[in-house]
Amino acid sequence: MTEGGWPANAELVASTDEAEIRRVPPHAWRDTVSFLIRSGHTFCDLHVTGPTEAVELRAAFMRDGRFQMITCRPDPGRAPTIVDLVPAADWDEREAAELGRLVFADRTIRPLTAHPEQLERWTTSVRGRDTHQVAVGPIHAGVIESGHFRFHVVGERILHLDLRLFYKQRGLERAAVGRTLSEACAVAQRACAACAVANSVAYAQACEQALGMAPTPELSRSRTLLLELERLYNHLNDIGAACAGVGFAAGNMVFATLKERAQRVNLSLTGHRFLFDSVQVMRSDIEIVEQTSLAARRELREIRLAADRAWHEVLFHGSVQNRFHGVGVISTAEASALGTVGPVSRASGVQHDARSSSFRLAYPNFKPAAPVDPSGDVRARVEMRALELPATFELLDSLLAGTLKPAGCESATQHLATGMAAVESPRGRTFCAIERDETTITRLRLRTSSYANWPTLAVAANESLLPEFPLINKSFELCYACCDR
Amino acid sequence: MYLLLRDLYRTRREVGLRRPPRPSSLAVRHVDAGSCNGCEHELTAAAGPHYDLSRFGLSITASPRHADVLLITGPVTVHMRTALLRAYEAMPEPRIVAALGNCALGLGVIASADSLAGPVEDLLPVSVRIAGCPPTPQQIIDGLEPLLNASTVR
Repeated sequence: MTEGGWPANAELVASTDEAEIRRVPPHAWRDTVSFLIRSGHTFCDLHVTGPTEAVELRAAFMRDGRFQMITCRPDPGRAPTIVDLVPAADWDEREAAELGRLVFADRTIRPLTAHPEQLERWTTSVRGRDTHQVAVGPIHAGVIESGHFRFHVVGERILHLDLRLFYKQRGLERAAVGRTLSEACAVAQRACAACAVANSVAYAQACEQALGMAPTPELSRSRTLLLELERLYNHLNDIGAACAGVGFAAGNMVFATLKERAQRVNLSLTGHRFLFDSVQVMRSDIEIVEQTSLAARRELREIRLAADRAWHEVLFHGSVQNRFHGVGVISTAEASALGTVGPVSRASGVQHDARSSSFRLAYPNFKPAAPVDPSGDVRARVEMRALELPATFELLDSLLAGTLKPAGCESATQHLATGMAAVESPRGRTFCAIERDETTITRLRLRTSSYANWPTLAVAANESLLPEFPLINKSFELCYACCDR
Repeated sequence: MYLLLRDLYRTRREVGLRRPPRPSSLAVRHVDAGSCNGCEHELTAAAGPHYDLSRFGLSITASPRHADVLLITGPVTVHMRTALLRAYEAMPEPRIVAALGNCALGLGVIASADSLAGPVEDLLPVSVRIAGCPPTPQQIIDGLEPLLNASTVR
């Protein structure tokens, strides 16, 4: 061990105020990860990069808004696993194994993005009297994204859930390679409509970090505004979706109406209901004149009052609350171990919100909303959205004060070949890493909040009843598109 | 089960029912074949209180077996190809295929070619095309409503 406790052979490759990159030999990979976890870092991402004959592993961690990336070139037949140290890296390693044709030592890898025919290759073996499987999807009954759930049940009781996602894998990360940094922003944005801003802000920030540029205060303000507009319509949508999950049509419809009104505000401010194409690398073209921002603030205040009223009705509707209570519980320990992010993790008592340490955005003194009873059930998760709405309304009101002008970046630190960013999307921390050759993307990694949270959903389903699953699912309201890319 | 369904489908085909000149309703089955979820959000909004798709007699149905229209979003990924074709096969005849959004139309797709099996046009006989990224709820209604007038399709 050396100063600071880093393993002696961890060689510092690059260092800025925001990030440090170290190269470690494969045999020191696990020790380095242990050290990072012990010293209070949070796991953000693991991915592979480089050509098949020289695949490199990269892992990113973060503490107080500062990134630590470690990299190694593993023996493809015996790559070091960290899944026992960081259970949150499970899907990352499975994806890395497929993409980099790696075999992880001492770890059996089940396919993640590949879809083998044979059931036993991708499902858990569950044996016992009366156990059977219930298969759902990839096409679901409603207007929902595509994905497959395989429930192992006894009667109505779920013993285990195997998720099979990546039906919607469009190869976006690969499609970004070879494009310029500016062009590839559209690729990151298209990962998901509902998280378009979060994904593209994360991407733009990663690029700007690599280019040694920092946003001007006006650019930070513009992006923060967009992020909160996105959070607003998503949170309204998610509360409505939870009402739909218990068949409470009135609640579902009222929140759908509020979401529609919020999307019309998006349209009035940016020209797009989903805020598409409002984020660019190194700049913002959005201009909002005082008259428009005044009208938006007025409408947002109306929406806030109506949302308060509607939430009050949901809160005191016995048939809704009885279904919410005690269902699909995720404990604080589970949420921490699984690397759960966003409202879902906060509902389980994990006090983390990337907005508290987003120095490139305009969140001065941001404190994450803390629930009175973080019971980790459906009730707590739905309530978390309602608890976060006031902060979003307050932020929007102050960000919309006055006019908003097009803005750019200013030179800050030295250039790097790699850039990283973490942004709090409506569903939690979304991480983006880019590698570049001058102005061309050589690797894009987008690890979204939904990707982080899907494994937790499978855990929440354990021991629940099959008819409770749609409700548990709605209380997470994860994107498939964001995850599959 | 399979034999029973096959016989029923055969009967439907042999009878050769024509769609009435002005059908009063159409059931729509949506399939997400790799969209970014934008089209799904807007389709849900189209069925919601501000637009109310059902006032035209257009309803969204849970099963392709009950559907007149297969409404497809997304560029059709390799992984969704089989499920999409099975949904189409499960529909009774006469059946209409509608492509919703630029991705489904093969326009403006940002994806790597080896992940895609589409566009929809290459796999199924598309007779309705609704462009947009995503199409607004009103554009979705404007695209679907003419289907109620049988002479506009086929």
